[in-house]
Amino acid sequence: MTNQATLPFLWKIGAPAGQGVMVTSLAMSKIATRSGLDIFDYSEYPSLIQGGHNTVEVLINLDQPTASKQLIDCLVCLDEKTFLHHQHRFHKDTLVVFDPKQFEPKTKSTKIALPLQEILVDLKADRIMLNMIALGASVALLDGEIKLVHQMITDQFGKKSAAVANKNIECAQAGFDYVWQQYQELVKPVLSRGKKPVPTLSSPVMTGNEVFSFSAAAADCRFFAAYPMTPASSILGSLAGWQSQTGMVVRHAEDEIGVINEALGASFSGARAAVATSGGGFALMVESISYAGIAELPIVVFLSQRPGPATGMPTWTEQGDLLFACHAGHGEFPKIVLAPGDHKEMLDLTLKAFDLADQYQTPVIVMSDKFLSESHRSVDYLTIKKASQMKIDRGKTITSTNQKPYLRYTNTSDGISPRLIPGQPGIFYQANSYEHFADSHTTEDAAARIVQVDKRTKKQTTYLKKDFHLPQVIGDLEQAKIVFVSWGGNKGPIEAARNLLAAKKINSAFLHFTHVFPLDEQKIRPLFKADKQYLLVENNATGQFGQLLRQQTGVTIEEKILKYDGRPFYPEEIAAAVTTIVKNTKHLK
Amino acid sequence: MVTAQDLTGYQPTWCSGCGNWSIGRAIINSLVEQKLDPSSLVVLFDIGCSGNMNDFVNAYAMHTLHGRSIANAVGVKLANHQLPVLVVAGDGAIYGEGGNHFLHACRGNHDITVLVHDNSVYGLTTGQVSPRAQKGHKSKSTPTGIIETPVYPLPLAITQGATFVAQAFAGNLPELSKLITAGMKHTGFSMINILQPCVTFNKINTFQYYLKHQYQLDSSHDPADYQQALEVANKPKEEKFPIGIIYQVDKPSYHEQIPALNQPLINQPHRENLVNLLTQFQ
Repeated sequence: MTNQATLPFLWKIGAPAGQGVMVTSLAMSKIATRSGLDIFDYSEYPSLIQGGHNTVEVLINLDQPTASKQLIDCLVCLDEKTFLHHQHRFHKDTLVVFDPKQFEPKTKSTKIALPLQEILVDLKADRIMLNMIALGASVALLDGEIKLVHQMITDQFGKKSAAVANKNIECAQAGFDYVWQQYQELVKPVLSRGKKPVPTLSSPVMTGNEVFSFSAAAADCRFFAAYPMTPASSILGSLAGWQSQTGMVVRHAEDEIGVINEALGASFSGARAAVATSGGGFALMVESISYAGIAELPIVVFLSQRPGPATGMPTWTEQGDLLFACHAGHGEFPKIVLAPGDHKEMLDLTLKAFDLADQYQTPVIVMSDKFLSESHRSVDYLTIKKASQMKIDRGKTITSTNQKPYLRYTNTSDGISPRLIPGQPGIFYQANSYEHFADSHTTEDAAARIVQVDKRTKKQTTYLKKDFHLPQVIGDLEQAKIVFVSWGGNKGPIEAARNLLAAKKINSAFLHFTHVFPLDEQKIRPLFKADKQYLLVENNATGQFGQLLRQQTGVTIEEKILKYDGRPFYPEEIAAAVTTIVKNTKHLK
Repeated sequence: MVTAQDLTGYQPTWCSGCGNWSIGRAIINSLVEQKLDPSSLVVLFDIGCSGNMNDFVNAYAMHTLHGRSIANAVGVKLANHQLPVLVVAGDGAIYGEGGNHFLHACRGNHDITVLVHDNSVYGLTTGQVSPRAQKGHKSKSTPTGIIETPVYPLPLAITQGATFVAQAFAGNLPELSKLITAGMKHTGFSMINILQPCVTFNKINTFQYYLKHQYQLDSSHDPADYQQALEVANKPKEEKFPIGIIYQVDKPSYHEQIPALNQPLINQPHRENLVNLLTQFQ
């Protein structure tokens, strides 16, 4: 065994679509977590079921890695394409696993010839089980325990068929044994470096979408509707699968217009309701967002972005819909947009989104993107357990009233009127899409119009006063010369980039915005000081948060690091961009 | 004791002679007969002259976006299936703008009653053709006559899974009230296509036209017979309009097939022991 300390360690697997790399990589992520380590993983795949090329990379580290890294430490190539697409990310010690029957990689890195086909034939196993041989071999190379692989396979296939599980275990064992027999000296102490003892309730390995789903159920969301759209689709699957435990009604409706209107109907009836979609589906929902605005119906919209316009690049990532989300809906009405930066924030802000929707009786949008939605992280068990037991707060939602006649849209100092859940005898009112009087009847009266517009607008003022959060300041804002400004899933890569910069003696701070709309000018402006270099980091082409910040607060950020090729940021890219900026800027040297 | 007065809101703004007057009255009569006061049901009013009934009929209500009333109704019902749900909409909303919701609500057999005011025109936007307009109908949007053939909602609803399909005439108030009651008492998706003269913008499908072309279904018609129902439902293609219950069968409605809805969704306790969901991720 080599004695190099190689954490964080980046393991990556690639194969033609349909070869099960998602299953294999998730098994690797869980094995690492069960070994007492934390992971971050990210998958890339085209919008095809077969015939494309899929890859997943798993970063393994001791404490909560926040992003991947550029240099690959172990690449498992189930085809030559994997090698060709990734050789530029090798270092001299990268382990390159391949089947010599398939191809011979031309590389100076460390080659691990694994006779996948031969083992498969020897064991009379199905072709699909190639990935299990690769998994066994990988766990051996990373000095992990084979019993964890056995457990994982039993968990995965045991319920369906013991014979299938056993065959998979045989394959994994064969890959594992082969490495220990032929490449013992190359085994790296990675999985063996986990914290001991491993807690019996190990960290759940979850995607951002799975955290949203869990959090929605914990927030007592009772009605969820969606129409499948990458990268939000898996939420529909999770919540539909959990119905018997959660009691939630989950609808796969005919289209996104049906989706949001069903949810608004359920919301009117008194159920907490949510929908999930991506940009194209959200576009179809927009008119109804406006209905929720005037009728003052609570609704949570989960919007997971992918590169547009139109169908764009369905399975890739981008932050191109921020301004669209903030300005969605015709007419003027308050709206709250939250943007979690990681899985923990997804948990907290989803819970908060449901409370805010009820409290402000208006749409609340939770922004994500493919990067955050589909990357796995080890989420601390106790944190998620505690969050799931939080009390919910429905604000001025009422089940009975003494007010006669009941005025649904009565004017109040905070703009929020008590919302009666329909059903109380002797009362009736309407959720009116037309402008209305306080009693909810339609009106076109000028004075009444002004009263209701002002009332709804006041809700925004109340929100800014009571529930708006300033950006999280990461690092020391006073000391730093460089200050990152960003939002959403860039948080992880920027955190990792700050560490890389610190190693080069570049001190940076980071303003991470989560409450992205509306913004509070008075509170935000003091965070921007003349003697610092602010850098806007966004996964889009036009710096949309920068535009929003200028619109809402008057703050302008000149220097931008933008990426819009469908790929998320790597920390190294951000660090390199900063290094260049520092070099070219006199007062920063 | 529920009275017509309890259910009556503002004075309507419909044109004199408009079919909506009698439809509005028929709805109130039916609700009185069913002893449903304004607090004991939810009505979804779509957009159009028909939807403007939102201020004329008292009830817990949503005055929805154009074409979306059925989708809202599906959610209203699933969240609280104890309250009867009635949709009041026009042929433009249900067969045009909201056609997709209509098809899929039939398939789902959602327990809602949809009243479609079928006057072949868009009255509120001053008389453009609706999807029900006869081929050749000239209007502001089709000055040389509409090229498309009309939507035929009756066979459409029957073939897509609706379990109660009826047709009524706005000029026959007692029969219309009876059909509304029958539709609301039916468990599952019920739709009543109501032939409604638009006195202002439709000079073809007039009161006289409908009187001449309609016929009352009698006891020889068996609404449970799918083939017979389809045959009758296709009669409007020959400008013969059957009046009465065309098709009715008993099938479980959507909410009855959701095990969790043994009590209304909004009355269920907040489930707290969700950490068990996490084991699949470990």
